[in-house]
Formats: sequence, C-alpha cells, structure tokens
Amino acid sequence: MTTAVAPLDGDVRMTLSRQSRIWGLVAGQAASHGGPVSVSDACAAVVTAVQVTGAWLSAASGTESAGHLISVTDAVGERLAELQLTLGEGPSPDAAADGGPVLTSDLSETEADRRWPVFAPAARQAGAVAVFTFPLRIGAIRAGIMGLYRDRAGQLSHRQLGDVLLFADIAAILLISADQAGETAAGFGPGGQPADLAGHRAEIDQATGMLTEQLGVGITEAFIRLRAYAYAHDRPLGDLARDIVARRVRLGPDPVPSEDDQA
Amino acid sequence: MDGELLSDTFVELTDTMVAGFDVIEFLHVLTDRSVQLLDVEAAGLLLADPRGELRVVAASSEAARLIELFQLQNDQGPCLDCYRSGLPVHAADLAAEAGRWPRFAPAAQQAGFTAVQALPMRLREQVIGALNLFRAGPGAFDTADVRVGQALADVATIGLLHERSMRRSETLNEQLQTALNSRVVIEQAKGKLAERLGVDMDQAFSWLRDAARARNRRLSELAQAFVDGTETLIGPARRRPQPGSWRKPSAPDGGS
Repeated sequence: MTTAVAPLDGDVRMTLSRQSRIWGLVAGQAASHGGPVSVSDACAAVVTAVQVTGAWLSAASGTESAGHLISVTDAVGERLAELQLTLGEGPSPDAAADGGPVLTSDLSETEADRRWPVFAPAARQAGAVAVFTFPLRIGAIRAGIMGLYRDRAGQLSHRQLGDVLLFADIAAILLISADQAGETAAGFGPGGQPADLAGHRAEIDQATGMLTEQLGVGITEAFIRLRAYAYAHDRPLGDLARDIVARRVRLGPDPVPSEDDQA
Repeated sequence: MDGELLSDTFVELTDTMVAGFDVIEFLHVLTDRSVQLLDVEAAGLLLADPRGELRVVAASSEAARLIELFQLQNDQGPCLDCYRSGLPVHAADLAAEAGRWPRFAPAAQQAGFTAVQALPMRLREQVIGALNLFRAGPGAFDTADVRVGQALADVATIGLLHERSMRRSETLNEQLQTALNSRVVIEQAKGKLAERLGVDMDQAFSWLRDAARARNRRLSELAQAFVDGTETLIGPARRRPQPGSWRKPSAPDGGS
C-alpha cells in the first residue's frame, strides 16, 4: 500500500523562501569561484544539497532533449551521460520522451534491467546504484536534462525531490539564458533572484504562447523575449504577462533581424 | 442526479491504469463531471507539487480557474484551508465571509460565485490536493451532493495513489511532474491559439479540447504538437463562440 510519499508540506508560503534558499545555494557556488552564475553552479550545488554522489547536465538541441553534455561533477556522472547518448537508452532519454522525471532508487532491481537491458548493467559497473533524471522543461520549451546518481540505493526523500525540482527550474532558466549573449540577468529580479513565477505561472505561460504568434517565433524565443521585455522595462514578469493576456500590451516583431542581435 | 452518468463516472475515475493514461485529462473529467452531476456551477482542482507549491491543475471553466489562481496568489481561501487541514470547508454565503477571507470572498462574488464547498483529496494522512465546488446562488450545499462530491474526490485520489503505489512508489511523483508540465504546455497552447483566432482563453481551451476529441488525441499531446508547430490546428476563426459540449445543459439553478 502507500508507503509512498511523506505527508506533503502544508504551507504554500514556504515556496518562495524555499526557492530563494535554493537560488542562494546556486549563487553561493558561483561566488566560490568568482564567476557569474551558470548551469554548472546549479549542477554542483544540487549534489551537496540533496546528498547525491554526482550529477550531469545536458542541453537540448533542437527538439532533442538530450543534446550535448554541458556540465558534470565527476567521472561517473560523465560516464552515465555518455552511455545514454551513445546507447540512446536509459533514464535520460526516457525523461526526455515522457516529459517527467524518471526516479530509479535501485538499478539492481530486475525492473531496471528489463527497462534498460544495456544501460542498467553498464551503469552499475560504472558505480551508480540509484539514478534520477529530470527533464528541464517549461511546458513545450525543452532546455535539457539534469541527471543525479548515488553510489548506494535509496529514494530521494519528499523534501529532497522538491529541492531537486527547484534546482531543475533554475537550471532550465540558466540554460535558456545562456543561449542569449549578455542576457543572463533577464527574468531574475533585484538581487539576482528568480522572479516569483508561482502565483502568475498561468499568465506567463499564456503570454508566452501569445508572443509566438505576435512575434512569429518559436516558444523558447518567445519566452526569452517576454523576459527581456520585462527586464528592459523594469516590470515584474507576472504583471507584464497579465497585460499581454488582457491585450493591453502587444509586442511587435523585432525591426532588427534577430540574427544580428546574437553574438 | 443522473444515476447512469454517476456510475459511468465512477468507472471512468477508477480506470487509471489504461495505456496512455493522462493525469490532466483524468482530473478534468473529475471537475467536469462534478458540474454535470452536482448542483454547482463550476469546479476547480488544486494539487500539491513536491516543491511545496499548490498548483491549479483542472477547472470546469476559466472563471473557476481564475478564482483558484486568486486563492494561490493571495494565499487565502477555502481550497487552501481545506488542503492545509485535510478537512472539508464550506461557506453558504460568501457575502457573510469577509472576516474569514477578506480578499477571497469579494473576489469570488465578483466572479459570480456566492457559495463554495472545498473537499480534500485525501488518503489517510496524505492530502494531495483539494476539489472546490462553486455555486452562483447562496445557500447550504445539498448533503447528498457533498457526499457524492467527496466520493468522486476519493475515487480520484485512490486512482492516483493506490493503483500506482502497487506498481512503484515513485511513479506518482513522476506522473505528477509530467502532469504539471502538461498543464504549462496547455496554457502555452491556449495563448498561441487565443492570439491566432482572436478569442479569449476560455474559448481557446474549449477549442483545443474539442480538437483533441475530434482527432482522438490526448489533449497534452496535441497542445505540445501545436506549440511545436508540428501540427496546425487551422480552425475557422470565431467559428464556435459557445462550445457547449462540456457544460451543464440545464439552466444554472435547475436542480439535477
């Protein structure tokens, strides 16, 4: 029966502070090497925060969710990412196809071998016992995949899972932003924190969809343009999204060809 | 109450292990059937995300979806109280509830809702969300309606938790995240379609859902294909101002 999930957090107000705490861990990681915040910092910070052995992060290319490897924390993580790219089999491709996380707390269970006959034994040989993969997605926007592994069996606790999902949200935004030269700050509020998306999520998603038509661009670029506009006009993302949905604000196609904007 | 529809609904809500099961579709069935079976005008559903965040995952109308969102944005309202306590919460007349929910009560009335009943989606100590029922007119909810509403919520909860835990305890979390992302895809598709056809979000959603049914496709899949641009939903613009197939057929206050 349901030995399953621990009782859920009752407090919605927690979310923002929890999100801020996770962002703090990523920013702290960046500060430790003195560079700007990047996806590698999210990758490194998640490992200590949720007590896994290692992590890897790959970026989507085109509509392929598992494109190329962006960041790894150790050799085993690199091997796991490599194996799956080579074999086209494993929890990363599955997470990409399903659009949801694939949580495998024990690779030695027969179900793992049945599901991934080549990857599972190879991963065990490489030293991984538990593997958790998370698609980095914002609706139809595919940014990549985040993978975690442990050298021992065991589920992520409910709290750890929640934290990983918040790391994944940050990694997705950072990955999308990294494609846009000099635009890394957009979408992050004062103090470099991610804007509070929780309460206004639906309007932001709807506005993003509307912009694909208004600007004649794909969904990823529409999201980037929405955030860039909010940043340039110093407006909270949720407010701007609401104005777009209410048709009080309309974004026209960029008069400058967008290729010229990108370095 | 339509007995045949009721038994069909229970069968529908139990049938969660079918191939291609879609959590979002499933929860839309719950909100839509609630409106069809019970003497209520609208229904909305919140589900908890492991991030510690409640999310609106289904609603029978845009007005219901917006008032659910309003509760989240203002951190106040019957659905939140119900989720936090794990107990049913009701208000027969929101005009008298300004003390209890100073922001929610007037907003709900403005949206056309006067009475509200929130029912927990709960299995033993685990609360995964809450189902909100709204009525336009004041007055206590019919006890039989509340019983049936809770039974629908229970069956849906067990369908989501129990069936899956038999397979693998991690599956619910996997499916929940997929569902929450599907919800985002659907909102993006609604925006794109609303802009293309020059309609509002409610109409865009009805249109999208009708298109999925006509093509015998899963809503989330079709939404994804439409946003990706791999599927063109060329629709005669403004063709169906009032798609009524999912609405309660009778007059708003006609009991069922």
